[in-house]
Amino acid sequence: MMLTQIIRKFNLLILTLFVLSILSFLLVYLFPGDPLVNLTGLENLSPEAHQKLAEIHGFDHSYFYQYWLYLTNLLEGEWGFSFSSGNPLWREIMQTLPASMELSAYALLFSLLIGVPFGFIAGFQHYKLSDYSLLTASVVGYSIPVFWLSLILILVFSLQLGWFPLSGRLSLLYDIPHQTGFIFIDIFLSDVEFKNDAAKSAVQHLILPTLSLTIVTASIIFRLTRRSVIDVMSSQYIQTAYTRGLSGLQVVMRHGVRNALLPIIPLFGMQFAVLLTNAMIVEVIFSWPGIGNWLIQAIFQRDYPAIRAGMLAVSTLVIILTVCTDLLANLINPALSGDRRAQI
Amino acid sequence: MPKFNIYQEEIHPSPLMHTWWEFRKSHIAVLGLWIFAFFVFLVIFGPLIAPFDPLLQNPNAFLVKPSWDVSGSIRHLFGTDSIGRDLLSRLIYGCRLTLGISLLLVVLAMLVGVALGAVAGLTQGVRSSVLNHLLDSILAIPTLLIAIVIVGILGVGLVNSMWAISLALIPQFVHNTREVVRTEMAKEYVLAAKLDGAKNTHLFFYSILPNMYEMLVVQGTMALSIAILDISALGFLGLGAQAPAPELGTMLSEGLRVAYKSPWSIALPGSAIFLMVLSVNVVGDGLRSALRNRLQR
Repeated sequence: MMLTQIIRKFNLLILTLFVLSILSFLLVYLFPGDPLVNLTGLENLSPEAHQKLAEIHGFDHSYFYQYWLYLTNLLEGEWGFSFSSGNPLWREIMQTLPASMELSAYALLFSLLIGVPFGFIAGFQHYKLSDYSLLTASVVGYSIPVFWLSLILILVFSLQLGWFPLSGRLSLLYDIPHQTGFIFIDIFLSDVEFKNDAAKSAVQHLILPTLSLTIVTASIIFRLTRRSVIDVMSSQYIQTAYTRGLSGLQVVMRHGVRNALLPIIPLFGMQFAVLLTNAMIVEVIFSWPGIGNWLIQAIFQRDYPAIRAGMLAVSTLVIILTVCTDLLANLINPALSGDRRAQI
Repeated sequence: MPKFNIYQEEIHPSPLMHTWWEFRKSHIAVLGLWIFAFFVFLVIFGPLIAPFDPLLQNPNAFLVKPSWDVSGSIRHLFGTDSIGRDLLSRLIYGCRLTLGISLLLVVLAMLVGVALGAVAGLTQGVRSSVLNHLLDSILAIPTLLIAIVIVGILGVGLVNSMWAISLALIPQFVHNTREVVRTEMAKEYVLAAKLDGAKNTHLFFYSILPNMYEMLVVQGTMALSIAILDISALGFLGLGAQAPAPELGTMLSEGLRVAYKSPWSIALPGSAIFLMVLSVNVVGDGLRSALRNRLQR
């Protein structure tokens, strides 16, 4: 049973990735300009070089052959070159993607730490003052446009109060060589002096972007948790537990928490995708060197190979994460099936 | 003997009336509805109210402060921006553009989504299965990400971003319609209609669709808040509406350049977006709990 689940999810993953790769291959032809230039990102070629490249990429063969070559190139990490910087796209993506993932991961962590406990409080205090005030706060939280929120935070905390830096990921004083792309691991691995100061600077740069992402996501997670807790606490087995003479705390600990959390864990996983998108906007505002900032710059500059590669990378990441959380949720709770969309 | 009570009129309110009564019980939701109605009023009658042309530049009034400031003037209620355009007029036109387009997109996405969802729900077999699986994987991707992808392909611009967002909104409508059609098809009143010889199209329009209106309205409010946020986010990033157009997100990013001198030029468009989304969300919340209360009784 479990094995079939894994195989089914794996099939879905492969199928979706296959469709994505076909789409990204089609983009080479859909974008304006020479398909070969769009594919490789090499501009201003001499006719001989152009001829040679066309042979390498199978442009004198059928589309299927071209796609096959494209796919093998993708798997080998040869994603072409960027128009604007001329660097290999694979390397650029590997530098920017970890930064975005890092930001989103911290924001998700804090959102869970804030959203879930408050969701439980509000769920248990259903229709009381604390529930209503928390609910109001959460409606405000997820109605705020994330770009406006970041601007306000910048205006208040970095321009007025001067507590936190305005933009970037690390103070320019520290030169941390790029290794994994995750700033704290890089600082730890590097052999610069003042490791502690560098880490402190990294934390200071992280706080504002993480905060603006956290406020939005935490309110969504809060609402998911609250609804689930309310539904569980009004169900019959909770009533039964009360009639068996268990105290309120015992009922909650033995029956409430587990049953309320199980159905919403996969929804938390889905929030990561939303978070990544919001992170793309926040990155632009805070000049965070992540994939969103990079992709939007690429769209501005009509850097077609970069747009193609960036989209493929982001959507692949999102799909893999979604399928994995889905699978994980199925393994934890096999009873779960069918409709699992967000109900807030 | 009571004489006047000859008409023992019994009221049989429709489900819609019930929902409305439940909705009215929540004062916050009604307030949200009023605010939303105000914005819709701006969308329709904006040009009649706005004191100036939103693109008219007044070279004598750069960065005039709002009227509540000591150095402000009542001529420009919310002040002017860096090239002397009246902010109040721009805000009114901005609400008109942002909310109007979002409403349009949601209606468009709803029509297409419901049509596709009905087809997906009424058919069985391979066709339905393929459609469903593809849909489920698309649903996992946030709308803004899809919109950015589509804008990346089509190119920057307001019309392109409109296409992108309406395309990105469609999957949720398809999904929900499909679910509703599936569950309703298993119910007995549909079976009765089937036994009367109703075809699939007849079944959908006369039996299932009347039971879907409320779900569609709730789903529509959610889609509307997403659409407003996405349109303004794309405008803010410079991928959507372009600079002189009075779109709220675009105005916000324009105001950014003079933010240190005139904080109100980013405060006002931002709070307009915020208030708009807030009212839509409050109305949506109120509707959802009204529906829940009605069904629980």
